[in-house]
Amino acid sequence: MSGVARIARRRLRGDGLTLFGAVSLGCLLFLGIFGPWLPLGDPSRIAAGPRLGAPSAAFLFGTDELGRDFLPRVVQGIRSTFLLSAIAVAITAVIGTLLGMAAGYLGRHTDQIVARGADILFAFPALVAGLLVAAVMGPGQASAITVISIATLPLFIRVVRSVTLGVAGRGFVTAAEVAGASTLRVMVVHLLPNVMGAVMVQLTYALSIGMIIESALSFLGLGVQPPDASLGSLLRQGSAYLTIAPWMVLSSGVVLSLAIMSVNLVGDAARDALEPLKGRPLT
Amino acid sequence: MTAMTAPLVDIADLVIEYDTGTRQVRAIDGAALQVFEDETLAIVGESGSGKTTLGMAAGRLLPPEARVLGGRIHVADVDVSDADDDALRRLRHDKLGFVFQNPTTALDPTMRIGRQVALAMGGRPAPEAIAELLSRAELNEPQRILRAFPHELSGGMAQRVVIAMAIARSPQLLIADEPTASLDASIREKVMATLGRLRAESGASLVILSHDLRMIARHADRVAVMYGGRIVELGAVGQVMQAPAHPYTRALLAAAAGNERPGERLRPIPGTPPILESRCEACAYAPRCAFRETRCETERPEPRAFAGREVVCHRAEAVIAADQSPRQEAR
Amino acid sequence: MEPPVIALEDVTVTYRSGFLGGTGFDALRGVSLSVGAGETVGLVGESGSGKTTLGRVCLGLLRPTTGSMHFAGQPFGNLRQRRGQLSVVLQHPEWALNPRLRCGRSVEEPLVLTGVSAAARRARVDEILEQVGLDPSFAARLPGQLSGGQRQRIAIARALVTHPRFIVFDEAVSALDVSVQAQVLNLIRDLQERHGFGALFISHDIAATRYVSHRIAVMLNGEIVEDGPAGRFYGAPEHPYSRALLAAV
Repeated sequence: MSGVARIARRRLRGDGLTLFGAVSLGCLLFLGIFGPWLPLGDPSRIAAGPRLGAPSAAFLFGTDELGRDFLPRVVQGIRSTFLLSAIAVAITAVIGTLLGMAAGYLGRHTDQIVARGADILFAFPALVAGLLVAAVMGPGQASAITVISIATLPLFIRVVRSVTLGVAGRGFVTAAEVAGASTLRVMVVHLLPNVMGAVMVQLTYALSIGMIIESALSFLGLGVQPPDASLGSLLRQGSAYLTIAPWMVLSSGVVLSLAIMSVNLVGDAARDALEPLKGRPLT
Repeated sequence: MTAMTAPLVDIADLVIEYDTGTRQVRAIDGAALQVFEDETLAIVGESGSGKTTLGMAAGRLLPPEARVLGGRIHVADVDVSDADDDALRRLRHDKLGFVFQNPTTALDPTMRIGRQVALAMGGRPAPEAIAELLSRAELNEPQRILRAFPHELSGGMAQRVVIAMAIARSPQLLIADEPTASLDASIREKVMATLGRLRAESGASLVILSHDLRMIARHADRVAVMYGGRIVELGAVGQVMQAPAHPYTRALLAAAAGNERPGERLRPIPGTPPILESRCEACAYAPRCAFRETRCETERPEPRAFAGREVVCHRAEAVIAADQSPRQEAR
Repeated sequence: MEPPVIALEDVTVTYRSGFLGGTGFDALRGVSLSVGAGETVGLVGESGSGKTTLGRVCLGLLRPTTGSMHFAGQPFGNLRQRRGQLSVVLQHPEWALNPRLRCGRSVEEPLVLTGVSAAARRARVDEILEQVGLDPSFAARLPGQLSGGQRQRIAIARALVTHPRFIVFDEAVSALDVSVQAQVLNLIRDLQERHGFGALFISHDIAATRYVSHRIAVMLNGEIVEDGPAGRFYGAPEHPYSRALLAAV
């Protein structure tokens, strides 16, 4: 691992774009995690300032139609968007890794069922799934998590399955089988540590997709419910006042784009660090 | 060998290093080599000896982290280290042909064989011309192969296609990197024979990079033995293989299975090959050498003519005088 | 007389392919082969001749479609029952070891599976590493820090650590350099003398095979076409295909 860390460090220093991504992701995570304890003001206090007030020294991001300070609301939005997607993606990663490893290693019927299942999920447009789930479960955080899981599960299954297929054919797996190791032992001791790299890379992609889906659902009113804020619900709120108070859409939109972009930039760097030999000719 | 004419490849004082990120590794530590017209030269060496780097340097097909730190490479009167991209492309395209170790990765999996061969030939060759080229590479049923995709061919057939593509433009120099290593033992000999015959017909020169001593003994005119980024022995195959003058060549022959009599024991070379970080100021082989004396560890040997060949060793006289069957009885 | 460690009697392996297993393909046809204790049988042939399939059958990774297979005189059973009794060394040194495990953990795994205590395992690992010519400190290293020859030695140590009765070497030296090949071939011969295991040495390289083997079986199109003492392969083997293989030496 030290080699990977070294390459990652070198990339982070050498590549300005990645550095930008890492720094902005760091700042967003800091705000998201420690936001409630920062002296930014109460996100749900009504009439803290004027209604639809333009950005000023007192209210950096302006205020909304109820006179709430928009800066703490955006910070709360960052928190709930990151938190929801992270929870959903973490659950999905565990399930997807297990299913992908089972499909890749056990093969035959297990593989048929899991791989076909992943194909069906993959063919489902996330928003259609969202409407369906929201209709059944009712709008809210639980359905947002469910929809993100449905959309990102095939990503994990496919990648883990194909990496597992490669690893399972290697000598050390055959040697363990011949030595009489159980299927469970082969999967835990020999396969899991060798697919983790691919899972980590996939995590960052899934996280950015999760954030897009969460925002879209909340924008449609199917995700986070008022008075709580997510970046998507703030966009929806702001879009109603786009012409008279453009700072609402602008601030939440910019922060959302920044969040998705920085996750992707860091993910790209992680992938390059884990696959340093790709595309190197004639060594 | 026509040593009177100017050599087709002329490499002198070549130094190449790789930047591995953590340190510099010197792959070629002052190598000199000439390839003449109409000959087959084999470059032998184990992994890390620098043979692939040297072979690829002739076509300037080096990976980006390789740095040429010194010396010159002339190929067909083109100064390769100095040429612009355009001149290099023309050189590679018209005068060089490459055959790589693994034919399945050398061919484009998405393209039918006929189209790939046509591209290698250049222009718009008639289907008959393509078929004709394939049958020269001893492929039966060329019409069927034209329409096939690479994955539909066996390894031997695919390598014959690669060979046909390499000779398509009648190059002056063919470079073959372990051309039979990925093929079945039973067809290696035939594929090598085809490559040798096509070379002889066209009068091109062939450089084979390989670690297979037996194959080289049968198919090359001259052999260059590489160790520690230098050519340590260079001469006619028969001479070098039968009476090696460099202790490394001698040890390599004693280690290879195939020449032993039943019951004889192979003698591995003790120790491991060096990884150089800068110019080696001693003999790179000295730590593993059975013939070493003090000056081998303090004085860099320079190439010299000896016993009809070129050798880089202070102790060549002692090596060639020693018993040429260095195996011991066992089992 | 002691029964052979592995005995195959008229074994056929048929692969089903196509829709509902419509077409069959015999990877092995009527193969009989036995390996005695302390004996190395070489298995040569081109790829696709069935030698890898035969190796997988001998390792219990693949069930014969028809025919019988005995291990030390008893029906083979399954691999759990055979824990510690057979092992394998494979071709690619870079894939021989789990890159995430320290070499000591890789070597001791067969002992873990046979329920040997941790203290006894440590002593066994040190001992076996020394026998394959490696310092016990290699136990603490990761495979990434080792050369190809060193990794193959670790793989051999893992194969030997339970004192198995039967080992399959599947192209075990093919990816190694000439001088390292000689080291590993000598190691295999010496260890066999010491431990007395039966071995199947699968290779396309007839020169290396005849050097380590007592007997050689030549495979062609799923059948064994010649089976004779290794000495014969230094001279004139009987089958024309065997002679064609030898022509390249």
